Amino acid sequence: MSIVELKEINFIYGKKSPYEIKALDNVNLTIEENCITGIIGHTGSGKSTLVQLLNGLIKADSGVVYIDGKDIWEKPKEISRIRFDVGMVMQYPEYQLFADSVKEDIAFGPKNMGLSDEEIEKRILQSIEFCGLEKDILDKSPFDLSGGQKRRVALAGVMAMNPKILVLDEPAAGLDPKGRREILGGIKEYQRKSSNSVVIVSHSMEDMAMYCDRAIVMSHARVVTHGTCEEVFSQHQLLLDVGLDVPEITGIILELRKKGINIPDNIYTVDGAVTAIKSLYLNGSVGGGV
Amino acid sequence: MEASFGVYYEKDSVIHKLDPRAKLLFMIVFLVSIFVAKDIFSYLLLILITISSILLSRVPFTLVLKGLKPIFVIVIFTTILNLFWTKGETVLVSLNVIPNFWTLTIYKESLIRAGVLALRIIVLMACTSLYFSYTTTPIELTDGIETGLAPLKKIKVPVHEFAMMMTIALRFIPTLIDETTKIMNAQKARGADFSNGGLVKRAKALIPIIIPLFVSAFRRADELATAMECRCYRGGNGRTRMKVLKMKARDYIFLLITILMIAGVVLLNIYAKGYKI
Repeated sequence: MSIVELKEINFIYGKKSPYEIKALDNVNLTIEENCITGIIGHTGSGKSTLVQLLNGLIKADSGVVYIDGKDIWEKPKEISRIRFDVGMVMQYPEYQLFADSVKEDIAFGPKNMGLSDEEIEKRILQSIEFCGLEKDILDKSPFDLSGGQKRRVALAGVMAMNPKILVLDEPAAGLDPKGRREILGGIKEYQRKSSNSVVIVSHSMEDMAMYCDRAIVMSHARVVTHGTCEEVFSQHQLLLDVGLDVPEITGIILELRKKGINIPDNIYTVDGAVTAIKSLYLNGSVGGGV
Repeated sequence: MEASFGVYYEKDSVIHKLDPRAKLLFMIVFLVSIFVAKDIFSYLLLILITISSILLSRVPFTLVLKGLKPIFVIVIFTTILNLFWTKGETVLVSLNVIPNFWTLTIYKESLIRAGVLALRIIVLMACTSLYFSYTTTPIELTDGIETGLAPLKKIKVPVHEFAMMMTIALRFIPTLIDETTKIMNAQKARGADFSNGGLVKRAKALIPIIIPLFVSAFRRADELATAMECRCYRGGNGRTRMKVLKMKARDYIFLLITILMIAGVVLLNIYAKGYKI
């Protein structure tokens, strides 16, 4: 089942000015329910514009956005409602923190939804757990935290709204490998436990391969290809053509194949590679067995 | 958020290449000329100068007009005010709006006055935005101000510091506009509502924008100060420039035109008395 459907979306920045840029060019797309979808593309490929359309922060010049089968701009005055269904974590969300305490900041979204105090309390505790934060952080000022912690607090603030679709624009940008793993792992855990849909925008092929179920590839304002991760990452040539890399491990596998080693070419995670190489040894097709 | 007024328009034209000091001087003289002008010929001269400047700069007319948008409200307001609330001698229109109570009269003189005033504002704004924002980068402009005001250093006016502060302030306007949009979007995504509710509620709704904006402005200021210190910035003393401003032949020609313009306006003022408007 698809939860998001985009039909013939066009979006132009600075329309009718000398600085006109076409950000989305006739984009048709569906995003599946109950899974993590990755949107991959270079800077300027239109991915951030695409996700901002999903919760009505911007309106397409033409085309329709359907969430759960409903056109989100059907009643333009009620557009802010859609933002409770589609939660959005922007790039560098730590810069949006404002409240006196972490607790108040996380409660901002749920409060705007008009939830009861008990419900808010419950959701705060839930969301900080997904984001790997300790309880004692709740009374601290968000400005006293480290960069990584701030990022998680901001993320928790959106998760606490429990949106049907959680959209994250480069959630791991600027973090070290450990921070990346923790944040993305937390998002995956959140998705599995809540059964909500998650959309992650990124340009890291490794992260996409590790954490996403489906992928959408964008280039020059268009969707180049989309499907399950296997389907997308197996199109090596296409990915290279649009200037993206295949995941590093896939690159190594492809090199091995060139050397005449009989290994399947649809491997895009390190774990998958380990299994495949092990089985090669077990079959005795490489070396002298283990 | 859109700010078409105040955006540099890159083109390789004579006007772009002029020395910013010459442009500053021209604008001061132009401003004086507009207020000295009293007859139809002087206005035609000033309009001619504005239009030929736009043509020479190769900035599209539509862009200049678009930049005038923010002042249209002021123009319309002053025009209406002048049209209906000033008195003259020749009655053009007389409308009995509410019988025996209020008659709307438009005089020929107030119509002309309103027209001239609107023209003044439009020409002034068009010329200022053309010379100062479309064809001069903020850096050039502050450079021009700094070197132009350099003599004031002798009486201990911190000219360099002011110019640097102005450069930095100008440089960060687009950045902060960008930042505001981003923060607003982020808070909107969390269900913040800026357009509904009473005054108090709306003012309160601004807190989630203002605090992050200030925090990031301070952060940027801090980072910039560090970056400047790392590159050994220590104020204006002994500081040399990569681009030294130098008046060239075209700048002197431009200044000559400037002088001719004010002379023309003053002379017309004296000799074209019959065409006074």
